[in-house]
Amino acid sequence: MLTSAASILATAVGPHLFWIASRAAGIAALLLSSLSVCVGVLIGGRVLSTRRPELRVTHEALSLATLAALVVHGLTLLGDGYLHPSLGDIAIPLLSGYKTLWTSMGIVAFWALAVLGLSYYARTRIGVQRWRKLHRFAALAWILGLAHSLGEGTDAGQTWFLAMVAVAVVPALVLLSVRVLGPSRPTRARGQADAAGTQSRSRADTSRGVDVTAVTETADTIARASVAR
Amino acid sequence: MTNPPCTAAQLDPRALARAKREALRRRARRIRRAVAGLAVTLFLMAFLVVYVQLASGHDPALVANARKRAATSSTAKASASGASEAASAGEATSAREATSTGEASESQSGGSTESSGDESTSAGESAESQSGQSSESSAGAAAVTTSQS
Repeated sequence: MLTSAASILATAVGPHLFWIASRAAGIAALLLSSLSVCVGVLIGGRVLSTRRPELRVTHEALSLATLAALVVHGLTLLGDGYLHPSLGDIAIPLLSGYKTLWTSMGIVAFWALAVLGLSYYARTRIGVQRWRKLHRFAALAWILGLAHSLGEGTDAGQTWFLAMVAVAVVPALVLLSVRVLGPSRPTRARGQADAAGTQSRSRADTSRGVDVTAVTETADTIARASVAR
Repeated sequence: MTNPPCTAAQLDPRALARAKREALRRRARRIRRAVAGLAVTLFLMAFLVVYVQLASGHDPALVANARKRAATSSTAKASASGASEAASAGEATSAREATSTGEASESQSGGSTESSGDESTSAGESAESQSGQSSESSAGAAAVTTSQS
C-alpha cells in the first residue's frame, strides 16, 4: 500500500518531485533552526534562571535535525530537472549562476551552521570557553539562512509562509535580542539565591536526621559528570 | 507531618547517581525521538502544502511566469511557436523548466525572451546551451498555461 501510494505520488508530482522535496526540506530546516536558536538562547542563561539538561538535549537534537534537513534541501536540488546544479553549485559559494548572492548566502549559512554546530563534539579539544564564544556566531549563520529563505525562497511572498516564519522566527529574534542587549547575568544575586535554596533544603532535611541534600548533590554531580562524558 | 525513612539504597550516592543517569538517558532518548518525529512531520506538512499549491495552479513561480508571459505577449508568442516545434521534436519540457527559466532570464543579462526560432532550433541540437533553455522555456510556458487553465 505504501509502495502504491509512493508510486501514485511520484507519478502525480512527476518532474517536480525533487524541487518540492527541496522546498519542503528548506522550510523544515528554517523552522527547526529557529526552534533550536530559541532553545539555545534559553540555555545561555539570561532568560531562564536554571540550566536544565533537557534543554541541552533538545537543542542538540534540533540542531542535528536542522543539519539533516539542510543536507536534504541541498542534495534534492541535485536531481532537479530545471536547475541541474552540480555538487559544486550547491556546496561552494559564488559558483552557482542562479541568484548567486542569495544562493551563496544559503551555502555560507549551511557551512557555518555545520561547523559551529558539529564543533560541539570537539569542544574539549577546542577549549570550552573558546568554543562558547565561537558558537555565538551560529546565530549569525541562522540569520543568513533566514535572509536566504526570504530572498530566494519560492514561497517567500506567500502569506502562509510569512505567517509560519513569523511564528517561528519572531520569538527567536526576541530571545536573541534579549540575550544580546539585555543586562548581564547577575551572578552574585544568583549565587545568593542558590545558597538560600540549599540552606532551606538542608533545614528541611535535617528534620529526618540525615543529610539527604549532600547525598543528592553528590549523586547529581556523579550523574552529570558521567552523562557529560 | 513525618517524612518517610530513607533506605540504604536511597542514601548510596552511586545507586542514586545510576538511577538519575538512567532517568536522564531515558528523557534524552524520548526528546530525540520527539524531535525526529517533529522534523519528519514538518517536512511532510511542507511537502503537502507545496504540492497542493502546485497541483492547484497557485504556485508562486508558475503564477509569476504567467504574468510575465502576459506582459511580453507578441514576442513570446513568436518564440513559443518556434519552440513548440522543437518541443514536438522530442524536447521534453517540464512546466517548471518553463517557469523558472523565466526567472533565470531576469538574473541573466537579458535578451532571452527575445530568442527567436533560430535559438529554438539550436535548443533541439544542444539542450544544454542557455539560449536553448530560454527558448524551451517559452514552449513550456505555453504548455503550462494550457495545463493550468
